[in-house]
Amino acid sequence: MIANRKSWIPAFAGMTEWSGWSAIGILPILLLFALPLVTSLFYALIGAFDAQAWQALFAHPQLWSGLELTIFTGATATVLALITAIIIVATTFESITWKNLPATMGAMLALPHLAFAIGLSFLIMPSGFLARIIANVVGWQTPPQWITTHDPYGLALIAALAIKETPFLIWIMAGLLNRDDINQNFKNQRAAATSLGHGSLSIWLRLYLPQLMPKLIWPLVIVFIYAATVVDMSLVIGPTQPPTLTTVIWADINSEQVINNARGNVGAVFLSLALTISLLLAYTILKSTTSLCRKFLSSGPSSQLLPNFIGRANYQILIWLYLIVTALLLFISFAPLWPFPNLIPTMSTRAWGLVIKNPNALITSIFLAIATSTTALTLIICWLENLPKKSDQILFMLSIAMLGLPAILVGLGQYRAFLNFGLTGNLTGLYLAHLMPVTAYMIIVLVGPFRALDPRYSQTASSFAKSKFEFLKQIKLPLLKGPILAALAVGFAVSFGQYIPAQLIAAGRYSTLPIEAVTLTSGTNRPLTAAFALLLLLPPLLAYVIAAQLGKSRWRAS
Amino acid sequence: MSLQLRNISLQLSGKTLIEPFSLEIAEGEVVTLMGPSGFGKSSLLSYIAGHLAAPFAGAGDIFLNGTTLNCVPPQNRNIGRLFQDDLLFPHMTVGENLLFATPRGLRPERESLMKTALARAELEGFEHRAPHTLSGGQRSRVSLMRALLAKPQAMLLDEPFNKLEQELRATVRDYTFANLQIRKVPTLMVTHDPSDAPTGARIFEITKTGEIKIV
Repeated sequence: MIANRKSWIPAFAGMTEWSGWSAIGILPILLLFALPLVTSLFYALIGAFDAQAWQALFAHPQLWSGLELTIFTGATATVLALITAIIIVATTFESITWKNLPATMGAMLALPHLAFAIGLSFLIMPSGFLARIIANVVGWQTPPQWITTHDPYGLALIAALAIKETPFLIWIMAGLLNRDDINQNFKNQRAAATSLGHGSLSIWLRLYLPQLMPKLIWPLVIVFIYAATVVDMSLVIGPTQPPTLTTVIWADINSEQVINNARGNVGAVFLSLALTISLLLAYTILKSTTSLCRKFLSSGPSSQLLPNFIGRANYQILIWLYLIVTALLLFISFAPLWPFPNLIPTMSTRAWGLVIKNPNALITSIFLAIATSTTALTLIICWLENLPKKSDQILFMLSIAMLGLPAILVGLGQYRAFLNFGLTGNLTGLYLAHLMPVTAYMIIVLVGPFRALDPRYSQTASSFAKSKFEFLKQIKLPLLKGPILAALAVGFAVSFGQYIPAQLIAAGRYSTLPIEAVTLTSGTNRPLTAAFALLLLLPPLLAYVIAAQLGKSRWRAS
Repeated sequence: MSLQLRNISLQLSGKTLIEPFSLEIAEGEVVTLMGPSGFGKSSLLSYIAGHLAAPFAGAGDIFLNGTTLNCVPPQNRNIGRLFQDDLLFPHMTVGENLLFATPRGLRPERESLMKTALARAELEGFEHRAPHTLSGGQRSRVSLMRALLAKPQAMLLDEPFNKLEQELRATVRDYTFANLQIRKVPTLMVTHDPSDAPTGARIFEITKTGEIKIV
């Protein structure tokens, strides 16, 4: 009997009673999310017990240069994204722009990284749009000898990652600053600090940032791990001579030779360890500067103001980059023959004709996105409805395990495990593999708003003797319409952007849009590549716009 | 030191909250302004401090020691303010909170100013304590000391004793007024509790029609 007994798991300790409801809360997440995740990690780790493979890895000529590049690109992109996000948030906080900021950032977040990287490469490559504009002014007849994509330092990759991660960090920071408790505290603190002679710059540096940064640690870890281990963007725009360690490992995993596969497996484990160590190192170094920071905090009033024009400029540049990249993709998808310095191509619908003739990848991607986002929503609501708030830390732990671990490691483990259970090369496997990251992201978006709902609603409802299900259907879900639709849109976009699990689990039998898009970028058919990048970009954007429209509250809030 | 208010008025979305009034507060004087909540007391203080936000709007001239403050940004006005909450910054120690307000200069001198302030608050040796480990009375003394370290030329008190327990209230009140009088700071206090006002001081009241009358 487990009923009426206190749980031995601390997070469940608040529960005095176990009932069938608890099982309905736990089992779906356990079976479809936690179990596949743990199994995948297990399989990834047992592959690491291979002495020969480790020897082969350490003999790899590109190991150390690749690791350096991976950490350099990941760390630089993270720091740049953080600085840009802080500048934009600080200068728009409580201004007219502020109210629309989360919505704008959400739309940018909906664009898959891969589509953005393809668009950006079309902008900056030697025969790209930027070079054509300059050529028309200066009079070049041939493309310049630029190394703007695949550059040896990974600068193009860093730029693409930083631009793509900035909206994520802004979105997280705006969420924190809009929380009622934090918002009120900060407003009061600002009034007090102003009366003590501090200007807005000092208030941000000495009051707001020191209190916000501890809450940004996990988002920053997720951004860094993502940036350091991204595969699809790196293949499109990243360094090739030498490549990042992530791409070296990716090549090994996809190699025809078993011996290379084993080296790829230990490589993924090695990379994960190396990234963890570099994060711990960064943390230790930052900790050691604490006394310096404390001196700065208490160095006395300074009436300097925030440089608002820098923030506005950053914000405008960010928005225009997204608009230009999207417009460019649309433009190029209609341009078959386009000799260099010409700015305007002859238009053709050939690429789109090819897309329409073979819509399989699009259909598979849309099917997976709808299936996984609705499943994840069901799993999460089952949990939230049947388990106490205290147990949510388990959900967050699972989510952070999924997102804080290199996707290449989880993907590899998925592949090994799924291969063992006959789940490669079929839709079930693809569905499960996509469901994991989708669930992880939707947990982050949904749990907060769901738990923030005033409990007095349910107390009132129970006084009308509404059943639990009736209450959920008639009161809770309509009240939470906005966050639920937003979470679905996020899940949809995350599923659409998955390259690693799709490529590994599909095993060549199925194709999804990221697989097609990455394959096309290594070819020369630019219009078709652009068309696929647009296909990758438009449905998530559409899902986001629909969610934002439908999610508006019935009555306009005053 | 003196704080002069000339023809000050306050509107909320075009509707008059406070009719034009003038008032001069002398060196070391504490003037009390009474009125129920919602009559614009706190907003009046915000107008004087320089951060009144829409939908409120104010008009009229503020003179501090004879010079007008109308075009001076809030952080440069040299007007201190105490709120209902002590608003000690939770990520800083007590000492850092005090140094945060101490004007720039040589570190040892600033630290000795901070320690003198702590001694005045009967909190010697508390500089490394986190604010949340202090009692309510201790926190409000630190908050007052922090405001005074910034060398304000005038003070605004926004129901500062409102959230204190009854037995603590009288002590904190006497302590606050004594310290303000030593430094000769002209002070405007708003409250809805007549017992908050120091004995013998001028008390004004906001009427329902928005006029300010002496009691």
